[in-house]
Amino acid sequence: MRSRWWWLIAIVLAASESQAQSNGWNMPVGVTDVSSDIYGLHMTIFWICVVIGVVVFGAMFYSLFRYRHSKGAKAAHFHEHTSVEVLWTAIPILILVGMAVPATATLKNMYDSSNAELDVMITGQQWRWRYEYLGEDVAFTSNMSTPRAQISGEEARGEHYLLEVDEPLVLPINRKVRFLMTSDDVIHSWWVPDLAVKQDTIPGFINENWVKINEPGIYRGQCAELCGIDHGFMPVVVHAVEEEEFETWLAERKEAAEQEAMGVDREWEMAELLERGESVYQAICSSCHQAEGQGAPPAFPALANNEQLLSDVDWHLDKVINGVSGAAMPAFRSTLNPVELAAVVTYTRNAWGNETGDVVQPSEVAELIAQ
Amino acid sequence: MWSVVKSVLAALIGVQSNQKREEDFSSGRPAAYLATGVVVTLLFVLLLIFLAMMAAR
Repeated sequence: MRSRWWWLIAIVLAASESQAQSNGWNMPVGVTDVSSDIYGLHMTIFWICVVIGVVVFGAMFYSLFRYRHSKGAKAAHFHEHTSVEVLWTAIPILILVGMAVPATATLKNMYDSSNAELDVMITGQQWRWRYEYLGEDVAFTSNMSTPRAQISGEEARGEHYLLEVDEPLVLPINRKVRFLMTSDDVIHSWWVPDLAVKQDTIPGFINENWVKINEPGIYRGQCAELCGIDHGFMPVVVHAVEEEEFETWLAERKEAAEQEAMGVDREWEMAELLERGESVYQAICSSCHQAEGQGAPPAFPALANNEQLLSDVDWHLDKVINGVSGAAMPAFRSTLNPVELAAVVTYTRNAWGNETGDVVQPSEVAELIAQ
Repeated sequence: MWSVVKSVLAALIGVQSNQKREEDFSSGRPAAYLATGVVVTLLFVLLLIFLAMMAAR
């Protein structure tokens, strides 16, 4: 009799231990009020389930043991017992309603994105995230920065393998931030466990979500909706900082954006464009067209020694700016700015044995986009 | 009338005694059960809508 209770206590202690530490067996407590509400709800319902399990299986195993055939137990033969039937119908109803009350309260809070102090537009693209601080003129794409050599096994894996980006989403703590989420191509899902946000981004729709982060830190996540060949290579990194730090960062980004806008009008040197173009190419283009422009035919054509591309700069610009309908090539007119577009086209026309000597100026690209 | 309502409510949660069921099948008119069933279901739906509106407030 006593040994049974010992088991129960041991299980409860082990479970409480894992609850206290959140050691990878359980969901994270997270760093927002909503995430800890969700965690609390999860644990409440978990313990309700544990109690039900113990009572139901306890009664079952006790009966199996106590009234076993070898001890001469005789089965009772009766057809119905209305009060017991009512009881075992009513109790689950009460339990379900009891669980629905806190669950509904949490859900209601999760969906209430009103009174946000900052709006961030999150756009999923194959295979990167684009962040736009609405009303602040700050926008950028966030690309995975794990080197391809680590993925192919030529280099040892880094600490944040597949969970690192060139530019993280920077957010202030203690401020309600609303996300407006959509997609340019297929359905993606923006997921950061520590923020308790996992929201589909759907082309043609805008989904809303929000966070109010309590602690500064770096929070990592991934795309959670299978979206194509590089689905595993579009991580999310959120950098939560103190409010003053955020303001400084935002001001710097604004100034950089202004500088960039001014850069459109001036004449660029080929060397500048090549340097800029290479970094854009490696961040944006190389996942399909490969690091050396060799492509991966038939889906992703080679850019190195591509005769059509090399003979016709207008055709080349059109494909990069407007994309190729019905193919994997997206339109980059809104993703990249004129400087980046001009740089990457110039780079592509003068790299890996492509020797056209063509220089495309940002001002030309700006004109093409304006048309 | 009350016994019809009671039978419909019993049907809603799926518990009814054999004795009561036999009474229902031997006496009352089927149309009364069907009509009461529709009304009670509508009331149940309205109750859920009301609860959902209360929760959403």
